[in-house]
Amino acid sequence: MEVKELSFEELLATKVPEIKVVDMGVKYKGHNPESPTFVTIGERIHCIAPSIRKAMDERDPEPILKRAAEQIAAGATYLDVNIGPAEKDGPERMMWAVKLLQENFNNVPLALDTANKKAIEAGIKVYNRTNGKPIVNSADAGSRISYIDLAAANDAICIALCSADGIAKDNEERMKHCHNMLERGMSLGMDATDLWFDPLFLVVKGMQDKQMEVLEAIKLFASEGLKSTGGLSNNSNGAPKTVRPIMDSALVAMAMMQGLTSAIVNPNDLRLMETIKSCDIFKNHVLYSDSYLDL
Amino acid sequence: MAFTPKTAPFSGKINAVTLGTGDKAIVIGGQNVMPFYTFDAPIENAPKIGVEISDLAANWDAPALNEFYAGCTTMVDYAKKAETMPGADFLCLHFESADPNGENRSVAECVADAKAVADAVTMPIVIMGCKNIEKDGELFSKIAEALQGKNILVLSARNEDYKTVGASVALAYGQKVGAETADDINLAKQLNIMLKGLSINPENIVMNIGTAAVGYGFEYVASTLDRVRLAALAQSDADLQMPIMSPVSPDAWSVKESTATEEDEPAWGNREERAIDMEVSTAAANLTGGADAVIMRHPAAIATIKKFITELV
Repeated sequence: MEVKELSFEELLATKVPEIKVVDMGVKYKGHNPESPTFVTIGERIHCIAPSIRKAMDERDPEPILKRAAEQIAAGATYLDVNIGPAEKDGPERMMWAVKLLQENFNNVPLALDTANKKAIEAGIKVYNRTNGKPIVNSADAGSRISYIDLAAANDAICIALCSADGIAKDNEERMKHCHNMLERGMSLGMDATDLWFDPLFLVVKGMQDKQMEVLEAIKLFASEGLKSTGGLSNNSNGAPKTVRPIMDSALVAMAMMQGLTSAIVNPNDLRLMETIKSCDIFKNHVLYSDSYLDL
Repeated sequence: MAFTPKTAPFSGKINAVTLGTGDKAIVIGGQNVMPFYTFDAPIENAPKIGVEISDLAANWDAPALNEFYAGCTTMVDYAKKAETMPGADFLCLHFESADPNGENRSVAECVADAKAVADAVTMPIVIMGCKNIEKDGELFSKIAEALQGKNILVLSARNEDYKTVGASVALAYGQKVGAETADDINLAKQLNIMLKGLSINPENIVMNIGTAAVGYGFEYVASTLDRVRLAALAQSDADLQMPIMSPVSPDAWSVKESTATEEDEPAWGNREERAIDMEVSTAAANLTGGADAVIMRHPAAIATIKKFITELV
């Protein structure tokens, strides 16, 4: 039997629970999309965490709001919202998550993170742009290239991973992917700065010899005036917990020197956030004051 | 093809701060362009001029100035007369005599003067102290209390006393508070952050980022003004978007160009003329640098600066 697919409006009206605004003691301070300061995308609302997966499945706001509040208090610019593969109920899941987070936290801007394109589209339908466009997380130059079309059609930012099938073998290949995706986005009417290129950060334990190449790729993006982002903490995968913040901080400083404009990070890593704020001072993106770490 | 000028207003905006109450209330700030750049966007609130009235005004030694205030003996007399001065937007009561190293007038006497003036005039009131941290702290708090509801501005809270001055003036008595720093953009930002940290609404803060008479290190003031404004407008730095008020007259009237007698400096010409010139140059330099209000003394200088503002905005 053919089941009629519900429109986003119908889904919103029938399948998305009403949002209750809860005072979590944290206010999102707002974000100026024109600002040159480094954009942190908080990665902690992710279905890989059992508590978040369960909360998403059961539409239980509390665990999600708690992680959001912690990340916002720590200074995250955007929050990533990973709802998992969400093959069945993706659209209503994403609409609920977007409304839940934005209505509770002063329209915090979000990166919508799922393989389900319908879900991303649904999320954008209910998204409030006050503090910045939604980010589609993510496209690549291979099987996920049509996520760029999705971003273009919905006036969104798109993270564009510079790989197709597996890790790019060198920067020539990375830049080929970059230019392919740039061309595709621009031919669909996107601004070049709405594609945030991801060089794909690689793990040191195993690919130590590739680290400088990744950093060089960031410089190549920046030299063309392009924005960039990526899962920076990949680099320290498998390293001891006490060492990871140090590696992440060192790498973010080197990457910001190369021109990295954003990263997907754990904002509750204090050392990392302090490093980012300090680099924004050195890059003259923020005027120094003795209290700059508290802002 | 016709030439189409490209306008460039900023996304950042200076806070609009209201001083005083009723018909004579003024608003300073509110613009999103550099000083007098009306070709980029309209400037809704033209810069304002305050008239300095010192409680030591009887010692002023300038014939035309004294002539203007002829017959005035009390601070109230001076204030009522100052309200009639063409170009005046607000009054600045300067309690120089409170200085413990000078006349050491009591806080109670100063407060009584301030209260009497506030009851007699309708223009907004700004209070300046004697620069002695301890005395000013008490004086500011007591005046802010006595003039509750008048929406006055108190100049200023400094790094040494921002907690007491900020807490009493702005939080307890709901007045506007000045944030005074010495020609250093980072200190200016830091003091605003600390005042905001006391939960003072940024819309209740006005900055004095440091002053000097032209020729006396004014290039530092000019550069600080410029950088503060660019941070506020171009970087949208919310911790520097407070409007700026520059007390011009105390500096302009105390440098040697304004004080040297004609016997000592015969080549320099009339002393009062020189003082007026110093005051006009310093005020114009502050306004073109970014000040949203200046405090001045002489009617001739004020008339000139008023004309300057009117023609540019």
